[in-house]
Amino acid sequence: MTSGLLLQAAVSGILLGGVYGLVASGLTLIFGVLRIINFAHGAVMMLAMYASYWLFVLYGVDPYTSVLITAPLFFLIGAGIEKALIEPNRAAAEHNQLLLTLGLALFIENLALVLWQGDFRTLRVPYANASFVIGEALVELPRLIAAAGAVLMAVALFAFLRLTDLGKAIRALAEEPEGAMLVGIDVARIRATAFGIGAACAAVAGALITPFFYVAPDVGESFNIMAFVVVVLGGMGNFVGALLGGLIVGLAESLGAALLPGSLKQLVVFVIFVLVLLFRPQGLFGGSRGR
Amino acid sequence: MSFVHVHGSGRRDFLKAAGAAAAIAAFPAVARAQARAVKVGYILPVTGPLAFEAALALNGIQLAVDEINAGGGVKSLGGAKLTLLPGDTQNKVDLGKSEAQRLIDQGVVALIGPFSSLVAFSVRQDTEKAKTPFLLLAAVADNLTEGGLKYTFRMQPNARAMATLTVNNMVEMAKAANLPIKRVAIMHEDGNFGTTMGNHVEAFAKTSGYELVQRVPYSLRSPDFTSELAKVKAAKPDLLLVSGYYGDSKLIAETASKLRIGVSALVGLANAAYSNPKFIAENRELTEQLFDGNYWHNPQSSRARAVFDAYQKRFSSTMSNHGVQGYQVTFVLRDALERAASTDRDKVRDAIAKTNLTDHILTQDAIRFDDAGENVNASPALIQVQNGKPVVVGPARFAESKPAFPVAKWKG
Repeated sequence: MTSGLLLQAAVSGILLGGVYGLVASGLTLIFGVLRIINFAHGAVMMLAMYASYWLFVLYGVDPYTSVLITAPLFFLIGAGIEKALIEPNRAAAEHNQLLLTLGLALFIENLALVLWQGDFRTLRVPYANASFVIGEALVELPRLIAAAGAVLMAVALFAFLRLTDLGKAIRALAEEPEGAMLVGIDVARIRATAFGIGAACAAVAGALITPFFYVAPDVGESFNIMAFVVVVLGGMGNFVGALLGGLIVGLAESLGAALLPGSLKQLVVFVIFVLVLLFRPQGLFGGSRGR
Repeated sequence: MSFVHVHGSGRRDFLKAAGAAAAIAAFPAVARAQARAVKVGYILPVTGPLAFEAALALNGIQLAVDEINAGGGVKSLGGAKLTLLPGDTQNKVDLGKSEAQRLIDQGVVALIGPFSSLVAFSVRQDTEKAKTPFLLLAAVADNLTEGGLKYTFRMQPNARAMATLTVNNMVEMAKAANLPIKRVAIMHEDGNFGTTMGNHVEAFAKTSGYELVQRVPYSLRSPDFTSELAKVKAAKPDLLLVSGYYGDSKLIAETASKLRIGVSALVGLANAAYSNPKFIAENRELTEQLFDGNYWHNPQSSRARAVFDAYQKRFSSTMSNHGVQGYQVTFVLRDALERAASTDRDKVRDAIAKTNLTDHILTQDAIRFDDAGENVNASPALIQVQNGKPVVVGPARFAESKPAFPVAKWKG
């Protein structure tokens, strides 16, 4: 194996990892606060990708700028979903809540299929093919921006949860729901807010992915499973962990692709996943405490 | 997710049928004067990951059915019209089986479908049991016609024909250009379809005298192929073959272009994107001079050109390989129904087995089936994107343009 190949694999692994971390951050927030595994996260991201796509096609809004519209919009959609569907089922058994988000995912995907057909759509932004070379490694600009966006978003979420009252309320709820209620936090509102923020994170991720990927009703599935792996690796409810977990998964996948024959790269990721579940079930970087 | 299954359409069909029966009872004379309908079932992944491709095939089927019905239906059956009964497989084996069984129970004369080889492999057992002709669409895995089946037929080239004839077309073309192909790499999706293609390219290396320097199976949903392509580039192949579906193939071509992959040509093997008019229209610069070995209509045939125009007019899009298949396979069935002069499934099966259809729109000689149910003359066309249009550049007798080879931009 040449060093050029290894360098390329490392670079694309880091960029891919950033994207996984980006998708996982909303997921991990929702889990941390609501204790719900949100299977619909990828589907919500897909909807947001369509939103960015249509904003570009119909109104010429750049996908990066579209975040200013889609993030608040999906915050409201997410909060609405939580109020209408999740909240009434809070008392239900855990597997019911799982099925609920799974059903929601199926519903959203098929809704997209009805609305926009199964077409693969691509945004033709001028910078879609922009890239540069470091050493011998190719760096695609849109992927770099997405990875940088992941870091920014993790930092922003971290700061938000540490420094604002709302953030502190969310953390309180995540760590001690009953205690939070007793000190007068409106827990129902906070849960809706957290779910809304998770959906807004999905919208940001979608907008950052759209320039270098394609949009299709099942596009969420390309990222969803890996995002779950990342959430477990990083510790459920841990943002910095999600980012680092994303990097680990991205690097494992990319180096696996370069060094191993065939499609063993996925195997590497899932071997790591199983090992973490066996030996460090709280995640590599601790549970919610890491926030 | 297989628990999501809507039975509503079956009930509606039943009510419709019941209503029709009541109407016939009330007006027996009218009913006798009107021609019977011949039920034709399709099972396609109209929702799910292959929904886009399935819609293209369905367009072709619909176009053919309407053309047949507008032209007076099946004449030997007193002008009976074809009625399409839909089935959605979502590209899942269990749904493919249950939808096939439902359509068989509803009395279809034959089944068309189901796109993926994996689904086809299971469904063919049900059609065999129910003695219902099964006209494969798109599925290319070789083993689908193995096992002494009587009711399964495949009009399109199987994987062996698709892979070896395409590579052979490229090898011959390269020889003519005095640039013999010595090193070949292939990237293929790791399902039944891509793996089978990969196996043939690997096996064909020995007889054809090239070296397979890199074989990379990949997962369809992988969001990044940079490392895989860097590995391919390091192996310095003359040709890179890509056997995959739409999104993955697109990503591979884009990444190969950015990495300056350095091959004489990028060639699709039954690729869902590289000769796809929509893909070409959306990616003009990237797709120019891409090759694809695929199922195609014969540009030298005036009928094929007429069908091509009719498709364009009706669906406002260019007829692609799947549309051609859907259209032609429906006419194979029509031809058999005419000769069988019956809707008895066994008689229709026998008629399909005796097919000798020369009036078709494909790049091949007469459509004829061997004992296994394979079209003996099935042959892919070698297509190249030239000036933003997919054109046939081989085999020579069907070609509408000369191939541009080697492709300078891929050599880069």
